[in-house]
Amino acid sequence: MDVFLSRITKRYGRILANDGVTVALKPGRIHGLLGENGAGKSTLMRVLAGHVMCDEGFIKVDGVRHAGLTPAGAMGLGIGMLSQDPLDFPPLAAWENFTLGGRPRTRRQARDRLAELSESLGFTLRPDDPVERFTVAERQQLELTRLIDADVRLLILDEPTTGISPEQKDILFRILRDFAANKGRIVILVTHKLPEAEELCHEVLVMRRGRLVGSFEPPYDAGLLLETMFGPEAAKAATEPEITGQAAMAAIRVREAATPQMAQAPALAELADVAFSDEKSALPPVSLALRPGEVVGVAGVAGGGQELFLRGLAGLARVRSGRYGLGGADMRGRTMAAFSQAGVHFLPASRMEEGLFPGLSLADHARLGFPNERGDIRDLFSRRFVDRFHVPDQPGAPAASLSGGNQQRLLLSLIPDNTRLLVAESPTRGLDVASCAQVWEHLHALAAQGTAVVFSSEDLDEILARSGRILVFFNRRLAADTPAAGQTVRGLGRHMTGRAAQAAAPGPA
Amino acid sequence: MKSPSPASINILSALALALAATLAVLFFAGAPPLTTLAVLFGGGLDSTASLLKTFSSFIPLFLCATALLATYAAGLWNIGVEGQITLGAVFAAGFLRLPDPATFPPALALILALAAAFAGGALWALLAGALRAYGRVHEIFSGLGLNFAATGVTLWLILGPWKRAGMASLSGTEPLPEAFRLPGFAGKPASMAGLVLAVTAFALTVWLLKRTTWGLKLAAVRQNLKAARLIGLSPKRRLLEAMALCGGLAGLAGGLLVTGLYHRLIPSISGNFGYTAILAVLMVSLAPLFVPVSCFFFAVLLAGAVQLPMALELDSSLSGVIQGVLVLAFLAAGRMGIGGRLGGRLGGKLTGDKT
Amino acid sequence: MDVFAATLAAVLFAGAPLALAALGETLSERAGVINLSVDGTVLFSAMAAFVTARVTGDAWIGMLGGALAGAFVAGVLAVVGLWLRAPILAVGFILTLLCRDLAYFLGHAHARQPGPDLGVWTIPGLSDIPFAGTVIGRQSPVVYLSIVAVAAASFFLYRTRAGLRLRAAGESPRAAFARGIPVERLKVLYCLAGGAFSGLAGAAYSLAVKPGWGHPQGAEGAGWIALAIVIFGGWRPSRVVLGAYFFALIQVMGIHLQDFLPGLSSTLFQIAPFPVMILTLLFINIRRSGRFRDAVQNVPLLGRLAGKPPAGAPGALAGVLDQDAA
Repeated sequence: MDVFLSRITKRYGRILANDGVTVALKPGRIHGLLGENGAGKSTLMRVLAGHVMCDEGFIKVDGVRHAGLTPAGAMGLGIGMLSQDPLDFPPLAAWENFTLGGRPRTRRQARDRLAELSESLGFTLRPDDPVERFTVAERQQLELTRLIDADVRLLILDEPTTGISPEQKDILFRILRDFAANKGRIVILVTHKLPEAEELCHEVLVMRRGRLVGSFEPPYDAGLLLETMFGPEAAKAATEPEITGQAAMAAIRVREAATPQMAQAPALAELADVAFSDEKSALPPVSLALRPGEVVGVAGVAGGGQELFLRGLAGLARVRSGRYGLGGADMRGRTMAAFSQAGVHFLPASRMEEGLFPGLSLADHARLGFPNERGDIRDLFSRRFVDRFHVPDQPGAPAASLSGGNQQRLLLSLIPDNTRLLVAESPTRGLDVASCAQVWEHLHALAAQGTAVVFSSEDLDEILARSGRILVFFNRRLAADTPAAGQTVRGLGRHMTGRAAQAAAPGPA
Repeated sequence: MKSPSPASINILSALALALAATLAVLFFAGAPPLTTLAVLFGGGLDSTASLLKTFSSFIPLFLCATALLATYAAGLWNIGVEGQITLGAVFAAGFLRLPDPATFPPALALILALAAAFAGGALWALLAGALRAYGRVHEIFSGLGLNFAATGVTLWLILGPWKRAGMASLSGTEPLPEAFRLPGFAGKPASMAGLVLAVTAFALTVWLLKRTTWGLKLAAVRQNLKAARLIGLSPKRRLLEAMALCGGLAGLAGGLLVTGLYHRLIPSISGNFGYTAILAVLMVSLAPLFVPVSCFFFAVLLAGAVQLPMALELDSSLSGVIQGVLVLAFLAAGRMGIGGRLGGRLGGKLTGDKT
Repeated sequence: MDVFAATLAAVLFAGAPLALAALGETLSERAGVINLSVDGTVLFSAMAAFVTARVTGDAWIGMLGGALAGAFVAGVLAVVGLWLRAPILAVGFILTLLCRDLAYFLGHAHARQPGPDLGVWTIPGLSDIPFAGTVIGRQSPVVYLSIVAVAAASFFLYRTRAGLRLRAAGESPRAAFARGIPVERLKVLYCLAGGAFSGLAGAAYSLAVKPGWGHPQGAEGAGWIALAIVIFGGWRPSRVVLGAYFFALIQVMGIHLQDFLPGLSSTLFQIAPFPVMILTLLFINIRRSGRFRDAVQNVPLLGRLAGKPPAGAPGALAGVLDQDAA
């Protein structure tokens, strides 16, 4: 299969997401598409898979030119994509998800075909279960099975390793190698993680600010790749452990920063057999204590329960039983206002959907965030928002116009001064390197002042690099509560998939 | 999409659309188009008497439209405004049964009655608000259910405890004593007091919504309730406050209808003013400055429609038809012209899809 | 026993239009389109059906007229709300008022006039069985129509490919688009279908359940109940229809109790369904709340009865009528 993208250009308002990208994809190869968040990788792939129409340029498949593809059209050509957010139907059964959009089959035929294919790939998927009960890895496996059944020849995977354990990643990579070797098929792996690209890809394409800026073959020079991804100056600062996988190195740095006084201070929050619950699920009772200035990373495969835990800490989920003590007072059954007064603040992962007001201006946000400040709102905005956090100096602009990084900056500026416990959901998800660094700078500053920071992340390297203490959730249970020192990615991965308990038991692993 | 066109062209195209649809409807009904339209529009404007009648419709309509601005600002669909008018009327009528008309100062009685009306409407609205805030029942359903319940309460009172001496009649309760009637204007049932109240309420509400932090909080709640919760805006309380204000003003309208227009409690006292007010507000896409204009326009139609059965043997529902057609035409024209700026003002929360 | 059979028969009869309207709205909402104009559509179609039947002399052509009228109103909703993308709740609400007034206006000349009605069908054999005969052997055709509609809707939704596509489009429009399912086209299609069903419901009123036309007709408010029933029934045809019969039972009981409590009850029972509507929705929400589930799990038998939380709204509707508020 021969695929050629010519001068693909796509604009979103004033943002040039793809700027004249031209690339030839070679059969039988796994191509890595590398770049920081916001470089335009996902957009390019959405154009290729027909989800989005480009403004200029065309795609040539096997010599035939196509100007505007639709998802159905792309599928017809053999192009399929595994999106970062699972594009499936949660309440529908696995076999229904499998057969939707595919060739006409009866229920029995669909179930049989699903069983046959998934077995050959090494997956176990329960055909009648609704997909919402599957883990992220299983949903991915189902999608892969479906795409392979639809005879996909160009397989695009957009950040597939987020939210799955290292072992599951190994299984995925094995399948991808087999797939690409088979009859000249093409794989494109979109990622922002260098080690993955180095491990798997026959060729690495680097995008930066909407352009294709480099194309490399093995052996790969990590330094050169970083420089191409971020530009020379930024490359120095961008030895972000999340990208280079040098978590262990950075972790040592962080631990040194934690002052000894903090360890002696009385606990800020004490959970005694606290069981959080929400409409969909519940966690078993958990007991732990949080100290001022602690930076706690919460890891787990998506759906493992850490989301509920964080929300419970922040007061957004019910305390079903137990005693959740904050500064001495029992927070069970208290309102959000009470949590706020106790100094708890929550940063949601979906910034615009849960944290900001799209139609209100930045100045309005300032006024709402600090209602007790009298005086000129412009002054407040300049001082707190622009000077301290580098929020764009456009007080009249609506929040909807902000980029991901700026949204997070705005959210950071809205953190009240009296915050003693900051709960942050994936604080750097989707952010470019400069914004990431700024977020962590601020979070560390808060911790230095005595605020406890509890954060979740799908990136184990980030957790290892930034936390002093790590909580791991698996299967809606707290599987591990350990200091970060001495932990490794593999070790955490075992906790995340419940293997650590097995490894500890005597007998064959 | 298409290149933007000035607002005036939009209004003209909307009016043209509405006119075309209206003529089609008249054709179907076999009604003479020009005469009908003349009666409809002229009937409210052609004499002092009819102007006063228009005003007596305008006042409750304007009050209710003002009330709705508060709930729309918070992102609520307060369909229950009809019931709130009714409960206001009930409370006002109920209060006026207590004092002795011979001895109690009439001005005080009326002021207290109107205050009671405000309270009654506010309470009924708070009921719907509580069902929404604590029971998560959408206010469209609770509003409708409570509208019917309010009708039931009224009927029970009129035919039961408050019935006319001698025989219960669907024409209403015992008429109010002269002393307790709101003085009209030049002897007609439109009251200056009512007009003053309506205009004051409008100015006050618009100021509250546009110029205070409270109004900003309502706007935030409408845009993103989850974020409002996180940032400490207590959205539940804001929703209840907005409902209380809206219900109170609607109740006030009901109180004015009892004391100023009908001088007694009748069945269906809310007379569709609530629903019509919703239409009036939607037509101008919630832009507060145009609300008085649309209310006046609709009041003219209402006054004119009353004459249709006598003059042309047509059902007076024609006014409702034209109002509906107009609002729809304005919504459609807004979407076709300025790329949806008018329609978009109705706020993300009101839209089913997030596109 | 006879009274019981007669009551059951009356419930099936009174519930038929509610079931039809609610089934139609279920299909529409499954595609992601909330049609607030149902109440007005029912009235407008009732008028259209009656007038058509009078003019042609045939009640069945009247039924067809009603269905077409309903589809027409839904068409207007589709044009302004789906194609022009005006807020769908606003358009639906405006239409419901407009259609009601339009029905009164255009139907004026036919008010309180005699006209054809659909009569009663007798199923040979079934009608002779003692109990079942009264309940189901001798009924208005609209009853049989509503029963067939439920069975067909259930089968369609859960056993056919087209039904699967509909469910998919409503659950997750983005994913459906990625699979090549024409979501926008399906929305229009099922919006129109829903309107046609509401039209049949209106025709069922003016040609069978409450024959004739007037101001008021008697079908007022039915559409709003149908909308609540869709939520109450969790968007599943089999449960939706049970909800319809539940409300029909309330209406029927009102008529019976009038014999015992005259005067008071007629208006009371006409109005009763609406507060009950609020209570049913409240009940559904309470069932879903964490507090209730925790409390109930400790009581052994009750915990079993409470069972799984009720199905949520189709994904496309999440957050609109399903107030997951503060």
